[in-house]
Amino acid sequence: MSAETLRTALAREGVDAEVEARGRLAVLRASSPDQWTEARRRAVAVTLAADHGFTHVALELSAADAAVRRD
Amino acid sequence: MSSPHMPADLSAARVKEAALIALLRSAGDVVVGFSGGVDSAYLACVAVEALGADRVTAVIGRSASYPEEQWANARTVAVRVGLTVREVDTDELADPRYAANPSNRCYFCKSELWSRLRPIADAVGAGVLVDGTNADDLCEYRPGARAAAEHGVRSPLAEVGLTKSEIRALSRERGIPTWSRPSSPCLASRLPYGTPVTVERLRAVERAERVLRELGVTGDLRVRHHGDLARVELTSSELDRWLGARDVAELERAVRTAGFARVAIDLHGFRSGSLNVLEGIVRE
Repeated sequence: MSAETLRTALAREGVDAEVEARGRLAVLRASSPDQWTEARRRAVAVTLAADHGFTHVALELSAADAAVRRD
Repeated sequence: MSSPHMPADLSAARVKEAALIALLRSAGDVVVGFSGGVDSAYLACVAVEALGADRVTAVIGRSASYPEEQWANARTVAVRVGLTVREVDTDELADPRYAANPSNRCYFCKSELWSRLRPIADAVGAGVLVDGTNADDLCEYRPGARAAAEHGVRSPLAEVGLTKSEIRALSRERGIPTWSRPSSPCLASRLPYGTPVTVERLRAVERAERVLRELGVTGDLRVRHHGDLARVELTSSELDRWLGARDVAELERAVRTAGFARVAIDLHGFRSGSLNVLEGIVRE
């Protein structure tokens, strides 16, 4: 599993996200969750995560981002 | 559950149901391990038809590994379908082999359950303990099945080849209210193997899933416990719905109130047994 190579692969697909590896789980921290409403984008992230050794990939929800959007 | 998959043609399922009735009649008086879920509710109803209500005892094994509402639902189902139920507490959390949460955790849990139900079966003169294992379950990683076998428990639904979708369809045909209920494995299934099962962790997962249901999340839902981080698994239609910015903020707030410092949404969505995949026990 490689968080760094997954991050690079995601960037090539236009996804700007930090990647934290927790065993086989990749936790993504991206700028805005609403870009993930598109199923195709989620499928790309799942495929890339698998290609880089992760069995699971999850998008972290940020309290800071949530506070900004509530404003 | 919005639209569970069910077979369009029930003729094959009805043949299996006839075989189930014949099997139960040959077994004699039975005690049913009753959770109030789709499978055990259907099994208990068919057993009553096959044997008569006075020859069927449904027993709820109350475990701390299930949400309290599970038992309330089970009692409600029993009343609706005319079942007499008994209840007994199980205490698998007191077994360190279970609490350590090894990959065969279910073996110790089911051993505890069947050891509690066997005396009840003896007391009512029922020769056979039965459970709601179905034919689809036989393809999955199920260490609890060994415990059932060791205690002489039979799985009539699996024996006649009834699948989950067939059981749902036959249940709907019979008017059993559980036909569309999502599957509800124990809360310990939300903890990665090796993370000790504690009441605190079970209740955190229970709270998180309950508040998400109260928010309006529908379909299969799991909150997986990764220490400080809750990983939320939703169906794909619910992912489409909740990943909009406004809605996701509500979802995050709800899970934080359950006690998790961090919240993440699984981008694949709900997968039954996903922690088995995470731990490398099964491959997708």
